Amino acid sequence: MKKFFFLSVLVTTVFLGAAGAPAQDWISLKEASRNIRSVKAEFLQKRYLQILTKPLHSEGKLFFYAPDSLRWEYLNPLRSVMLQKGNTIQVYNFSEGAWKPEMTQAVEARRMVLAEISRWFQGRFDESKGFKHTYSPEPPGHIILVPGEGINRFIQRIEIFLSVRPGVIDRVEIEEPGGSRTSIEFRNVEINSSFSPEVFEKP
Amino acid sequence: MIRRKGLNICLLGFLILSIGCVPKSKTTLSPGLPEDLPGCYAIFPAEPWESVHRIEATIRGGSSSLLGVTRGEPSERRFQSLLLSPEGFILFDAERRENGIAVRKAVAPFDSPAFARGLMEDVTFLFLPPQVKPATWGKKTDGTMICNWEGPDDSHTEITGSMESGWRILRRDKQGEVIKEVVLNGPFVNGLASRMELRAFKPTPYRLRMTLLQTFP
Repeated sequence: MKKFFFLSVLVTTVFLGAAGAPAQDWISLKEASRNIRSVKAEFLQKRYLQILTKPLHSEGKLFFYAPDSLRWEYLNPLRSVMLQKGNTIQVYNFSEGAWKPEMTQAVEARRMVLAEISRWFQGRFDESKGFKHTYSPEPPGHIILVPGEGINRFIQRIEIFLSVRPGVIDRVEIEEPGGSRTSIEFRNVEINSSFSPEVFEKP
Repeated sequence: MIRRKGLNICLLGFLILSIGCVPKSKTTLSPGLPEDLPGCYAIFPAEPWESVHRIEATIRGGSSSLLGVTRGEPSERRFQSLLLSPEGFILFDAERRENGIAVRKAVAPFDSPAFARGLMEDVTFLFLPPQVKPATWGKKTDGTMICNWEGPDDSHTEITGSMESGWRILRRDKQGEVIKEVVLNGPFVNGLASRMELRAFKPTPYRLRMTLLQTFP
């Protein structure tokens, strides 16, 4: 559950960022999120761990199609993909030249997490029991998410920095208790572009 | 003729089974030349290090891909090891100190004491040489090092190889059977092998294929 909540946070921040533009008020931001049909993006993730001098870099891409289709894929250093289509959730790791289902699928945990994402995606941020939000519209516009009791054992704070280009974010910072943090930079974000539905079905 | 062929197949099968059951033979050496002794430690980091490995773990027919992060202090035989999911979530975090293992974080299914003990033993096996001096060692004419250590519990550790041909570490139990084997292949970066494969045979068989992704310094 913890692991997948972490993942959900990454995904959700993309949607929020994609939905918002600098100098928008919160109501406009929520409205914009309701117009999103699909999101396609690449990302560079930097994982800062206290025991490592240099951050650990990962690259990947994501696809989302409203209301509940998602592909979150890491391309390196480990190839791994989570696929959601409706209520079906699958996780695969690429190992020894082939995609193999992950041993612990934790489907129920993922389903709960993705339901949370869907609420946020549809602009129902105030219905979230997980995070309290603060939105600062002044450039660079950013959103701060503070987790409630329980989640704050794993995530201390999330900050989303919006790009000057409407509908695109520059990066997301996720802080954890104990000093570790994750920075995700998004590139080539496409809103409402079309892609094959197969991306949600096959690794 | 048919009977003869059947007998041959039977003999072949018996031979294969026999090979599978006989422990790999131990090499007997006398104490070697003092100048060759450092070669027994060539595959272990001599200075403090940080490393990140891609790990493909296979156990009971299932496989899992993880990231392994380790920071070590060889002179104090101390290290900290983390296992990360592909997303970067910390699944396991523990430290090996002089007085034992301290688990800082462990998420199911990595949260059993047996898992923590096994993982820290494997990291020790991979990165730290036995604490005592080898009982015997030697260098063959082709440059291959052969080093044997005797453990306190009648276990044995053997290291053979060279930087050119790669290295093999064997751990034997007191019956002489191989319980763990590591194959290391270069190039070596900051004293760390680029590729390692650990196979455990007893009590639970598993395999770890590790690829070095980054190291510091």
